Amino acid sequence: MASTTHRCWGTGRCRVGEQVLFAVAAIGTLGFGVGVVFFKDAFRAAVSLIGTLLSVALLFIALLAPFAAAIQVIVYAGAIVVMFLFVIAYLGDRGALPGPDRLDRWQVFGWLGLIGLGMFGTVAILDSTAGPARPAPDTTDVGSPASIGDAFLSSHLLAFEVTSLVLLVAAVGAVVLAKGAVQGEGGR
Amino acid sequence: MTVPIAAYLALSLGLLVLGLIGVMRRRNPLMLLLSVELMLNAGNVALIGFSRQWDDPSGQVFALVVMVVAAAEVVIGLGLTVAIFRNRTNLDVDELSAMKG
Repeated sequence: MASTTHRCWGTGRCRVGEQVLFAVAAIGTLGFGVGVVFFKDAFRAAVSLIGTLLSVALLFIALLAPFAAAIQVIVYAGAIVVMFLFVIAYLGDRGALPGPDRLDRWQVFGWLGLIGLGMFGTVAILDSTAGPARPAPDTTDVGSPASIGDAFLSSHLLAFEVTSLVLLVAAVGAVVLAKGAVQGEGGR
Repeated sequence: MTVPIAAYLALSLGLLVLGLIGVMRRRNPLMLLLSVELMLNAGNVALIGFSRQWDDPSGQVFALVVMVVAAAEVVIGLGLTVAIFRNRTNLDVDELSAMKG
């Protein structure tokens, strides 16, 4: 049964499957994304981000990247959003400064840049040719942990090592920042 | 090839523009970080879409590196936010003008 389902992907036997999955995930991604941007309450925006991240994980599954989808759920929805929720609960509900944005008069440039980027992206996507057809996935299996680990440890070894350095720097930075906060409250 | 790569790229563009709007509109530092997460996810969708298009795991490797960078960025960003705004009443990046000449 499992092998039948696997062979079904990409060979066109269940052509509708990817389209339905893509439609659901696209609606979820953009809908929850609008929630992240426009919810006034920080807590609601963070919970809305969970919806976006899970929808993006669905997109990864539609793109035959199950390992990336799992990491997306575990790291993003499981760790990052929980940290956001902790900090939102810690800092509490506080308002913004009264009055307009300090950079208000520059905002028109931001909007112009945004519209330009949107138009450029739309034209680029509409203008691009489709490229060669994607090969059937069950011959190469690019999304498996084995192939990703192989790529990481052979041709992308530098990125792998830099990753460890980035995580080390982030951990040390978090400890230093937390130590400063504790000292600011009169502790050691 | 049921869903063309252009559909994934269009979705990625929409998510990136949403994140940009959030970065421009929000003054709460936590909301700024949330919007940056949206933009990073838009990049990840495009990368994995290209990985599928060309049948090459490099795009997924790149997306995983982006996730690590996002995790590190959130750790440092939230740490800075807590350290700076712990003793202030307003949660607003406009308040950070101490380096203003």
